[in-house]
Amino acid sequence: MEPLLSVRDLTVTFGSFTAVDRVSFDLHEGQTLAVVGESGSGKSVTALSIMRLVELGTRGKIENGEILFRQPGGEVIDLVQQREDDMRKIRGNAISMIFQEPLTSLNPVYPVGDQVAEAVMLHQGLGKAEAAERVLEMFRLVRIPEPEKRMVQYPHEMSGGMRQRVMIAMALSCDPKVLIADEPTTALDVTIQAQILGLMRDLREQTGAAVLIITHDMGVVAEVADDVVVMNRAKVVEHGSAVDIFENPTEPYTQALLASVPRLGSMQGRSEPAPFELVEYDS
Amino acid sequence: MSAGTPLVEVRDLCKHFPVGAGATVHAVENVSLQVGRGETLAVVGESGCGKSTLAHTMIRLHEPTSGQVVLDGVDISGLGNRALREHRAKMQIIFQDPFASLDPRRPVGRAVAEPLLIHKIAKGPDADEQVADLFTRVGLEPDMMRQFPHQFSGGQRQRVCIARALATRPELVIADEAVSALDVSIQAQVINLMMELQSELGLSYLFISHDLAVVERMSHRVAVMYLGQIVEIGPRSAIFENPQHSHTQRLLDAVPIADPRARRDRPLLTDEIPSPVWAAGTSPERVELREVDPGHLVAAEG
Repeated sequence: MEPLLSVRDLTVTFGSFTAVDRVSFDLHEGQTLAVVGESGSGKSVTALSIMRLVELGTRGKIENGEILFRQPGGEVIDLVQQREDDMRKIRGNAISMIFQEPLTSLNPVYPVGDQVAEAVMLHQGLGKAEAAERVLEMFRLVRIPEPEKRMVQYPHEMSGGMRQRVMIAMALSCDPKVLIADEPTTALDVTIQAQILGLMRDLREQTGAAVLIITHDMGVVAEVADDVVVMNRAKVVEHGSAVDIFENPTEPYTQALLASVPRLGSMQGRSEPAPFELVEYDS
Repeated sequence: MSAGTPLVEVRDLCKHFPVGAGATVHAVENVSLQVGRGETLAVVGESGCGKSTLAHTMIRLHEPTSGQVVLDGVDISGLGNRALREHRAKMQIIFQDPFASLDPRRPVGRAVAEPLLIHKIAKGPDADEQVADLFTRVGLEPDMMRQFPHQFSGGQRQRVCIARALATRPELVIADEAVSALDVSIQAQVINLMMELQSELGLSYLFISHDLAVVERMSHRVAVMYLGQIVEIGPRSAIFENPQHSHTQRLLDAVPIADPRARRDRPLLTDEIPSPVWAAGTSPERVELREVDPGHLVAAEG
């Protein structure tokens, strides 16, 4: 089957520094693909390049490569070649994104419901009343309790977990084909993280959107991903199904990464604490 | 584990913060615990449960509202500044963000030397020598003491903060989410270092963390906090293999399992933690702990 999104030989530089080096992967309809790596591996820059946000505000430059996206109509376009005007119609519409810190993504001086309504009024041309209906529907979808009350609240009146639900509601409000989630649960408590990951798995079934999740957390990868791209120092080092990556990692970097992941239950039957048995990795 | 008297004994410690209109945040409420010599006690719980406030109140970065903290047989909760300073050398703290804990304009060696000078442990060339030893001890090259914080990686900066904490030869080191901001491979290295230092120096750790998988690796005992109170405390194996309180269970259930075959379908919960703010004249009900096994205490649930 033809992929929904195909990143081919993507190279992104910041001045003389290469942040993403010939990265390729495909994302299919209904698939959840995780791009995993440590700080500075290039995973977030890859995500920002797909949205073409890497050139805005920063001095990032897409040097080489294609990002082929199959539009809802079936036509395949290269996002790298799109003009800013055209990208604006795609961003938040066919491809949307959620970030790590929902508080910095929401405007503090407007009620959250208005902010979600703005997205649907802008992209789908809905009127005010219809937009409000849509917001209510989206809040119910992401299981925000008492959605009518929550719509008129300001971001500071909500917990981190509720704010991230609002962001997900906003991202899904225009029925995107691709949802990019950059460390969506990193700033949340583990109990709230479990709620949000469960919600994301559930929503995939309900909406059919493909999900590209960017994370440093192998636990999160294991919880939600079908397939995994492992990045290190701007390059893809390993690419495979989640089960294969966890059970038979072939690359030394992946092996070293997995060896340092703390695993609940690994200490069963041992009375004293024990250090990690680290795998040496020479880059 | 702990021979004889514990290093630290906390009795009925409370820390309240006024928030206007007579309302009060009961951040820490009647907490009692002990930390043995050479032992790691982990304190776990969600954001806002009071675990960091507990640690800060124990070393009097916050003044306790009531209760005692006995360190090495001395109640430090009522000591004046001068007397407190002497005892502060015995207890040090490492914070989550090493970049925020170091002065960007001073070489890191100066940061490590400062406690030696303040506590009159060493000065001049002798202090330099001790700083070099401390750097070696935490796995850094002694030459690095002349460099500035921005020249280090996050893991190296946290090693500098550990070196600084060790300068006064403390008995208790509080690690307040000390490895939470580090990449997982660096986190594992820093945890291994902390465990090595513990066995070499006989340190006690109060390890504040939200990450239960890390806690399982490195602690001897675990305390679970909820809304300012301890709801369960006991040996690590009891907490992880035989959790009794629903809140402990809830925390354990939420930990992502690094095995895609073990994926579980979880109920889609939306519940949130209640507020720790109490109006004037009201206060939370005191949680009573009962012993279910030797050393394993659990709060009764209504």
